[in-house]
Amino acid sequence: MYRNQETMKKLESFLLDVEKPARYIGGEPGSICKDKENVDIRFAFAFPDTYEIGMSHLGMKILYALKNSVPNYWCERCFMPLSDMREKMLENGIELYGLESLDPIREFDFIGFTIQYEMCYTNILEMLRLAGLPVLAKERTALTPIVMGGGPCVCNAEPLADFFDLFAIGEGEELNLEIMRLMEQCKREKCTKAEFLRRAAQIEGVYVPSLYDVSYNSDGTVSSISPRDGAPAKVRKRIIRDLDKSFYPENFVVPFVDIVHNRAVEEVMRGCIRGCRFCQAGFIYRPLREKSMETVMYQTKTLCENTGYDEASLSSLSTSDFTDIEELLCGLNQLTKKNRVNLSLPSLRIDRFSEKILTEISSVKRSGLTFAPEAGTQRMRDVINKNITEEDVLNSVKIAFEGGYTAIKLYFMFGLPTETDEDIIGIYELAKAVVEQFYQNPNRQKGKAPSVSISLSMFIPKPFTPFEFEPQISGEEMNRRVKLLLDVRKDRKISISYSDSRLALMEAVFARGDRRVGKAIYTAWKNGCVMDGWNDCFDFEKWKEAFEECGLSMEFYANRRRGYDETAPWSVLDMMVSKEFLISENERAHRFEPTPNCREKCSGCGVSDCPIHTVSKKD
Amino acid sequence: MATVNTRVFFSKTDRAKYISHLDLYGVFQRAVRKSGLEAWYTEGLSPRLYLQFMLPLSLGQEGLREAVDFRLLEEIPFEETEKRLSEALPYDIRVIEAAKPVMKNTDIAYAEYEISGELDYERFSEFCGRPSIITEKKTKKGVSEVDLKPNIHALEISDKITLRLPAGNDFNINPTLLLGAFEREFGKISGVKIIRTRFFNSNGEVFR
Repeated sequence: MYRNQETMKKLESFLLDVEKPARYIGGEPGSICKDKENVDIRFAFAFPDTYEIGMSHLGMKILYALKNSVPNYWCERCFMPLSDMREKMLENGIELYGLESLDPIREFDFIGFTIQYEMCYTNILEMLRLAGLPVLAKERTALTPIVMGGGPCVCNAEPLADFFDLFAIGEGEELNLEIMRLMEQCKREKCTKAEFLRRAAQIEGVYVPSLYDVSYNSDGTVSSISPRDGAPAKVRKRIIRDLDKSFYPENFVVPFVDIVHNRAVEEVMRGCIRGCRFCQAGFIYRPLREKSMETVMYQTKTLCENTGYDEASLSSLSTSDFTDIEELLCGLNQLTKKNRVNLSLPSLRIDRFSEKILTEISSVKRSGLTFAPEAGTQRMRDVINKNITEEDVLNSVKIAFEGGYTAIKLYFMFGLPTETDEDIIGIYELAKAVVEQFYQNPNRQKGKAPSVSISLSMFIPKPFTPFEFEPQISGEEMNRRVKLLLDVRKDRKISISYSDSRLALMEAVFARGDRRVGKAIYTAWKNGCVMDGWNDCFDFEKWKEAFEECGLSMEFYANRRRGYDETAPWSVLDMMVSKEFLISENERAHRFEPTPNCREKCSGCGVSDCPIHTVSKKD
Repeated sequence: MATVNTRVFFSKTDRAKYISHLDLYGVFQRAVRKSGLEAWYTEGLSPRLYLQFMLPLSLGQEGLREAVDFRLLEEIPFEETEKRLSEALPYDIRVIEAAKPVMKNTDIAYAEYEISGELDYERFSEFCGRPSIITEKKTKKGVSEVDLKPNIHALEISDKITLRLPAGNDFNINPTLLLGAFEREFGKISGVKIIRTRFFNSNGEVFR
């Protein structure tokens, strides 16, 4: 099996001095090694966070297997090394390498980052530096490696525009292979990088930021975005129409060390029918597409057999919305019982929770259950279009308590548009009602007390949601509202955890930032910011300084209401959901009006050929 | 239920030396599941695949004849077990042999090691020839002093060091103790490679 002996030798000299060395050496079951001589295109799939987080990511598993299914393409994995490893790498002159070959990724044709959340941006820069590459795209003049990005954050890629050569918008299965085929051709023709990018921009779903000029108004808002060299005025996201026919891995790379989600993952749906107004995934992954029951059962079984995992999760944005969820769970029953596989359903909706689902998922681990009411009052839930009632919540926890659960975790968001102190106190009231529900169960275990934990996250306005126009509340106001909740909390059975308001501000800035924000990211990284999503690394003061140094205001990006007619920095992208729809949803939110889900009634969001829409028309 | 006690000898080398003992359970558990071998699970509230590893191998050390016991629910030829498990294990963990256990795992009294590295073997030989080699050893109860000298058996030094040290759950001497004592006096050795080659019982017979 090929591996770079020089890197291997250097690694061996210090690997035992770093924490969990198995993360840095590859060789896991399911990892794919190829003969370099027979490979034409090499792709480094880079995840800008730790191995444990990256290896849990489904998108990487799909695209890794897909690219490697092409005989002359070789895709390898690459993660952000932790600081002890980074130091050792620099000390020993090891450049960031692919875990399969241990070859430096600088020599590859592509370095593709999946960008899952905003606080990993500096990690991308750090990984490029570790790879021995200039972080600025314009300073990388050779044809290869092309640095590309994908994932949810690229629906506003502008803050990263300076660092990337291209962005892949939407779902990657077809798009990635098309981009790789173009590279094959361009390498044969000995094209320049500029020529490659010019041609790549013609592929639907490819956004080449350097081919667009952005100008600004005097108030700082974007005035225009103009394409050059034949690049399209709008870049439309790619989607896979038929998930049953789409590629899905039959095996995963199974890590040696424990990771965040160490299990077989079967994706059962893409998209979501719900339209919760704060949820970016609920809009950018439209339309809803389901796999057939047969596909789900076959793929789950195959994955469990090939990986040896004893846990499988049915993954989607809202798995309980799967049309025949109960039938599916019954169908999977045989697999789970006979082969001792535990099923987990990570995203259950409160109003679809039933005893049947509970018995299927609670075969072994009976610890805690998590629900996401998201807001404390009905008015607030109507604003965000989380179409559940207090009764739904209480019914679900009743079933859970009767089923033997004693710990309930409740997710809430705060700082939502139109939120008042009453809504904040409502969060506590709801948690109290959950506690009371426990004591109403006549069969409860005597002497046991329930534990209800409230997990609070700060609302972050995201592009391509009806709340993209909304301001985020200030840090002081965030802290005041948290304190309000902490002060009303009397019952010790209810615990409250909340996130750092300064982190939420940064996320809001990046989520809706424009190209100029890239300067601040560069500056902050130069000044030592890295791993910003980790509390022990996040240094808000350095970020503040970086923004000041670049003459940029965080408040301009995070705390300002944006007009419906403002040109958004991300407006070059077409995520299929129309701006008119987002505006009408925003208006409904301010009228406290919910919107029916896609199955109940089509709201005309702008997605063409929506499978749900087509079906209901036939009816 | 009648079960077939099975002992699998395996090597754990190369990249697999970075798999910790804790993680090794998961690696074998998934391999057994992948292999399709019907193995016995513990009973009780949360059943788990029964896998009994012999003495843990330190992170970074390689093993040429490590051992794990489990129970099969069916009588199949050992070659079949070897083949199916081999296919399911990672590349750097290889099955040497599957067999019916002959000795009890508590019979293990010694382990043999091969050690190499950038060090002066002659000096090391002199070092091992001293009347006593006192060093500190961490135990569950705390730190205690131990004389390594009487614990070094069957020492051979050529272009590598071969030696036997006490091994077992009650008393175990890790070769890093000896190397550490040497390093404290003569400086750090780079490129150390430690291979545990096999186990012995108290009569000096190879563990089977």
